[in-house]
Amino acid sequence: MDFSLTEEQEMFRGHIRKMLDGFGGTKIAREMIDHQPENLKKLYNTLAELGCTAINIPEEYGGLDLEALDLVPTFEELGRSLIPGLFLETAALAVPLIKKYGTKTQKEKYLSKIATGEKSISLAVLEPFHDFSPQGIQCSLESKENGYVLNGTKTLVPEGELADTFLILVRTKLEEQEDGLSLVLIDAADELTIEKQASFDEAKHVVQISFNQLEIKEGQVLGELNKGWGTFQEGLLYFNAALSSYLVGAMESVVNMATEYAKIREQFGQPIGRFQAIKHNIVDMKVNLEIARSLSYYANWVLETEEADREATIYSARFTATEKFIEAASHNIQIHGGIGFTEEIDCHLYLKRAHYYQQYLGSTAYYQEQVADSLGWLQEGGKACKKLMSHVN
Amino acid sequence: MDFSFTKKEEKFRKELRTWLENNLPEGWLKGKRDLPEDLEEYSRFLRDWQRQLYEGGWAAIAWPKKYGGRDATLMEEIIYHQEMVKVKAPPLINYIGIHMVGPTLIDIGTEEQKEKYLKKILTGEEVWCQGYSEPNAGSDLTAIKTRALKDGENWKITGQKVWTSFGHVADKCFILTRTSTHPEKKHRGITVFLVDMDQPGVETLPIVQMDGRKDFNEVYLTDATAHDSDIVGEVDNGWRVLIALMLHERTGIGAELFSLEQQFNETVELTQQYKINGQPLIKKPEIRQKLASFYARVRGSLLNYYRNLTTTIKNGHPGPESSIDKLVVSELTKELSAFALEIQGHQGVLWKESAPQDTKWQNLFLASFGQTIGGGTSEVQRNTIGERVLGLPKDMGR
Repeated sequence: MDFSLTEEQEMFRGHIRKMLDGFGGTKIAREMIDHQPENLKKLYNTLAELGCTAINIPEEYGGLDLEALDLVPTFEELGRSLIPGLFLETAALAVPLIKKYGTKTQKEKYLSKIATGEKSISLAVLEPFHDFSPQGIQCSLESKENGYVLNGTKTLVPEGELADTFLILVRTKLEEQEDGLSLVLIDAADELTIEKQASFDEAKHVVQISFNQLEIKEGQVLGELNKGWGTFQEGLLYFNAALSSYLVGAMESVVNMATEYAKIREQFGQPIGRFQAIKHNIVDMKVNLEIARSLSYYANWVLETEEADREATIYSARFTATEKFIEAASHNIQIHGGIGFTEEIDCHLYLKRAHYYQQYLGSTAYYQEQVADSLGWLQEGGKACKKLMSHVN
Repeated sequence: MDFSFTKKEEKFRKELRTWLENNLPEGWLKGKRDLPEDLEEYSRFLRDWQRQLYEGGWAAIAWPKKYGGRDATLMEEIIYHQEMVKVKAPPLINYIGIHMVGPTLIDIGTEEQKEKYLKKILTGEEVWCQGYSEPNAGSDLTAIKTRALKDGENWKITGQKVWTSFGHVADKCFILTRTSTHPEKKHRGITVFLVDMDQPGVETLPIVQMDGRKDFNEVYLTDATAHDSDIVGEVDNGWRVLIALMLHERTGIGAELFSLEQQFNETVELTQQYKINGQPLIKKPEIRQKLASFYARVRGSLLNYYRNLTTTIKNGHPGPESSIDKLVVSELTKELSAFALEIQGHQGVLWKESAPQDTKWQNLFLASFGQTIGGGTSEVQRNTIGERVLGLPKDMGR
């Protein structure tokens, strides 16, 4: 048994961390608040130079053809400095979907340019006043000669101004639920009505996109028509495994901030970290961090296997990371006291990012239901907590 | 990453599994797992089981071969725990002998001590208990007051021990005494003795626990005798022995985690079978969601344990992060059994023959409160993690 990242993966983490520190850590996130994306773009180029954007791209498209686990150090480090941008959406959602379901033309068009860092893909799934469910997808794609027309509105589309392409989940059959949705790829050059939205996580930009009789060609449909929900769920497994790593990285920053502050901040003549009310609080944050990290490592490993608990552990990793990150980020503010409530200190940036992701593409309750479902608890003889190590029965 | 077992490990598992199938007490595998109520019979039953383990070569697999063990690897220990939990094997009456006293003697005991005790630990002929806690020395073990006074080649031990598990059936005690006082350095002046329980100066009284069981004892010592040759390590240097002993506790938490996993599976079954208003509990979204939350925590704890175990295998010793495992498994067991009780609704308080389901849930719930206290309270564990893993400053007074 070996449950750890390899030495190479840890070494690679070291390079990324050094590079990000060179960019000033959370400075990039703060610059995004001031609408200065120049350094983020530079950083994205550096990530491409280091090969990060090519990690999971097949060799024939100029990639390194490595595993999901090889992306984990990059995701964690990006989370550590709260780097915004479309790295996750591109590498952990668009790439696996295009690899698995894309046509030859689509692969040629997107994968090579993603590998070189020239293309980023955002995703437009959520809709105003709807939830994340098949019924919540009402943007409609209707057939007409030589293609389709798209109508409707998508909300909370990440980094609209940085995206070269949008992956969009649309309704292609009105009467069906799951079996009436499809995925389409739309390049940003197409005529789109994009409106900036104000999110309290100002470092992660979101936009609303309205489609009015937008023409879509046959070749823009990704995967099988009317099977978009299932296809998207498969992509979401990759995204959630990646997201859990990103959030673990961010949580690690928060635990470090709280720990270091508790060592130097003195009240009543002693460092506050000596008080058990503070100390035990930070310990609980640390314990949750390590458990979330273990789940995230396993999620990224199990992703590329056919283990029976593949889905259940990825969903678990996802909601554990979102929930525990919120908890840790909230406690971090409290531990910092007055200064933790200021704009000047990074504490609030982490809390806001934690909330940005908590309900993004599925709430905790949603993923808990998915766990129950994927383990067959509602059927006779559900599988429950399948043994971790494959041969134990 | 690699979650597979080697061929050698698989063979080990198969060998143990076959042995268990052929040697567990009659009817055990089919679910007849009642232990005798009567203390004498209880003790005999478990000693017989230990003897059987010994004869099969399964009593102390982690010990070196030359002392009757198997030189088992950490992974083999893990497999051992998995298989024992799977069949819900009878408890090991000499747990303290096998997992604590034996390894400590092998490590720092004298040749005479090894010769005298090790084999009898394996066979169950001599059952051991440990005399650590006292009425005024719980989390702060340095506060012990039990004195050992030198009397020629002998020592006279006087004081009171409490929470001595297996004390009522034990033949020998691994006891912590104070042999000198150093107010500035409270860890100094503690000495470990190997003491006979069967002597005039030793009296044990059972403690009735909140779950009705009597697993622990108070032990009163009045001029109990020990010899110079019964000292483990050196006089006044017992704290070191304790530290060495704790390092031998390699995989015990694994066993608790596998039990927790089993309890979780059984909780899922409970929600599938237990009906309220004619509907299985699992049909309620709030029950499913809570269960899923437990699934993530149980899974996460086990995975985290495996990650720490990987570190141990690579470095040859556990890192400070391992202290996380004990805290997590005990707290989680407490919460999970409370949940299993809560979902039984108003009937959850019914116990024993009146329990709506198997009374094990009520028993588990009550017993779980001991887990976050025994073997280092959760508060002590949090101090350890805070100070040793995070480097936070120590409390005043320590």
